[in-house]
Amino acid sequence: MIQAKSPKQRRKDSKPAEIVQAQSGIQLPKRVRRLQRQAPLLALQGLSELSVRLRQLTGHDVIDVNRIMEVVRFLYSQQELARRGANYAVDDFGFDPQWTESLLSVFMVLYRDYWRVETTGVENVPATGRALLVANHAGVLPWDGTMIKTAVFAEHSHPRHVRALVASLVMGMPVLSWFLRRTGQTVGHPDDTRRLLERDEVVLVFPEGVRGTGKNFKDRYRLGRFGRGGFVATAIRSRAPIIPVSVVGSEEIYPMVADIAPVAKFFGLPYFPITPFWPWLGPLGMIPLPSKWRIQFHAPIRVEEHPPEAADDQNLVMALADEVRDVIQQGIYDNLKLRRGVFL
Amino acid sequence: MTSLRPNRVLVTGVSNPLGAEVARRLAPHVPHLFGCDVADPISALEEMDFVHADTRHAAIGKLVRQMHIDTVVHLAVMVDSPHDERSIHETDVIGTMNVLVGCSAPTSRVRRLVVKSSQAIYGAGPTDPSFFSEDMTSVERPASSITRDLLDMEQLVSEFALRNESCRVSVLRLGFRVSEDTTLARYLSLPIVPTFAGFDPRLQLLHEDDAADAIVRAVLGEHPGVFNVGAKGVVLLSQAIAIMGGQPAPILPPYGHWIARLALRAMTRVDVQTHLADVIAFGSVMDCSRLETEFGWSPVHTSRAVMDGLARGKDLEVIEAPSPPQEYELQVYLQRRRREARNSHRTAPILEAHG
Repeated sequence: MIQAKSPKQRRKDSKPAEIVQAQSGIQLPKRVRRLQRQAPLLALQGLSELSVRLRQLTGHDVIDVNRIMEVVRFLYSQQELARRGANYAVDDFGFDPQWTESLLSVFMVLYRDYWRVETTGVENVPATGRALLVANHAGVLPWDGTMIKTAVFAEHSHPRHVRALVASLVMGMPVLSWFLRRTGQTVGHPDDTRRLLERDEVVLVFPEGVRGTGKNFKDRYRLGRFGRGGFVATAIRSRAPIIPVSVVGSEEIYPMVADIAPVAKFFGLPYFPITPFWPWLGPLGMIPLPSKWRIQFHAPIRVEEHPPEAADDQNLVMALADEVRDVIQQGIYDNLKLRRGVFL
Repeated sequence: MTSLRPNRVLVTGVSNPLGAEVARRLAPHVPHLFGCDVADPISALEEMDFVHADTRHAAIGKLVRQMHIDTVVHLAVMVDSPHDERSIHETDVIGTMNVLVGCSAPTSRVRRLVVKSSQAIYGAGPTDPSFFSEDMTSVERPASSITRDLLDMEQLVSEFALRNESCRVSVLRLGFRVSEDTTLARYLSLPIVPTFAGFDPRLQLLHEDDAADAIVRAVLGEHPGVFNVGAKGVVLLSQAIAIMGGQPAPILPPYGHWIARLALRAMTRVDVQTHLADVIAFGSVMDCSRLETEFGWSPVHTSRAVMDGLARGKDLEVIEAPSPPQEYELQVYLQRRRREARNSHRTAPILEAHG
């Protein structure tokens, strides 16, 4: 039985808003404490000396100090997060930049080493001000969104957080909804898009939605219908340029050969995929395949030159949506040609 | 359209802490202040005439007419209350209807009506947009009973506003408050707080001071319309629990909120209502830009400040806990009532009828 605390007790227990230094119970000798403080630095020094020696001996890098530094940075950022307690602020959408940036190292490993993403045209994303990124959606799980986010944050001269719009269905799922909100995503509602653009954010939309991610493997790299062009209307109203993004490689991470609709319906999912590994291998089947990825950011389409009233002109909106779709489709073909092989 | 200062003001639901605070703040600004409620007032106010009257009875309309009320502040709307669904429905919908009937009579002098509503009118769900603006109340979704009641109530109020153009109607949708006696505050002040597994919603809170201030400004100003009244900024549920010095325990099953409600009640004796369970799972944040632009005012305390204030127990000083009227005040009050009963021919019969 958990009893409610009395106000007096609660006041006693509540933590003040300031960062407080924890007092440890047992006091170690001064020399030991100093050594404790310096231990990580000494270990790093030793490692870097060792790597230099090994390079001199063997002629190539045996220990990559940069990688080790990244792991250290990750651990330190996690420690920093643990220390801040309740003293942080999220924006009105529930986005926690510090928390998100602390996870960057994890996604960088996927970006650089696992999928070896080659990004072109990232300079098309403006350094300041609003923009609407429109990308093709593929792969059963939305890893393409994380990679576009990582690309803009890691490769852009002016690192920015891309705010992706997520299907409302996903926002009802435990863990995922928490993770997505915390890392800056929000519901794919026109009102949310408008608000984010008005705050001069870079917003990422996947007009294909779950029809894109739930695509059969034989339909790969064939773009689905682009909704009803709602993203174009929102961009015109918010006076934001549209930047088409082509992603190649995401189609091969889970080759979905079949979709068992009744099971999906039972669990309330948009689709239940069957791949060569899922669900036969259990959780192992959820590991994406290491395909080779390419991401291309195209030149912006200046829809903000149209007056806001043009958003109600369905003809114009559909024409612009088709233009964006063609640019993305063409970009996919170009990048497929540039790629040497699926896993190379 | 005359822009008269409110002269004879009736505050319904004056015996709840918010009503008492509103009456206390209104007293220096209005010549004649009347309050009514079913319960005794929690503190006597010399400037206010208290009437025992139940809004669920049609007599309230008679009260409004016979006392020549020109401004009604309708705060007898229950949202966070331990009563059962039926009596909440009676108070919120039937009570409001009776008040509106009193205001819309041809002889009525009511020129200003302020109705308290709540953020609970929006409900909370995974498909909702991140911010609710005033026109986003959805009727289609199977909502909690309180959401349905509030929707019914606001429907009545908006119909009244359409029919009576001479009366300025302001509806204030107050955000969730965490003063001592609210369910949300009791939930957040548990030492171990069971939360929905895998959810960490955004909470938007409203300080009691700001709530009372908003109502008083609506009474004294000229702001017809529906307004969201919520604090700036949000706090995450886990953050709020950490501020309170508690420990979040993500143990409630994320599907089927009624199981979670039963489990919560069994474990902690805090009965979280249906609409609040949804808020704890999915979060609910209002867009208060209309309040800022048209009302010309926005709450002083941010959500974070409200949470910090609750953690430090500062809210105790703002709204006093229910206490019996002081002896002196009681004497003054009784004397005043007796004098008016002798001199006035209006208030006395009503008092006898409903005393």
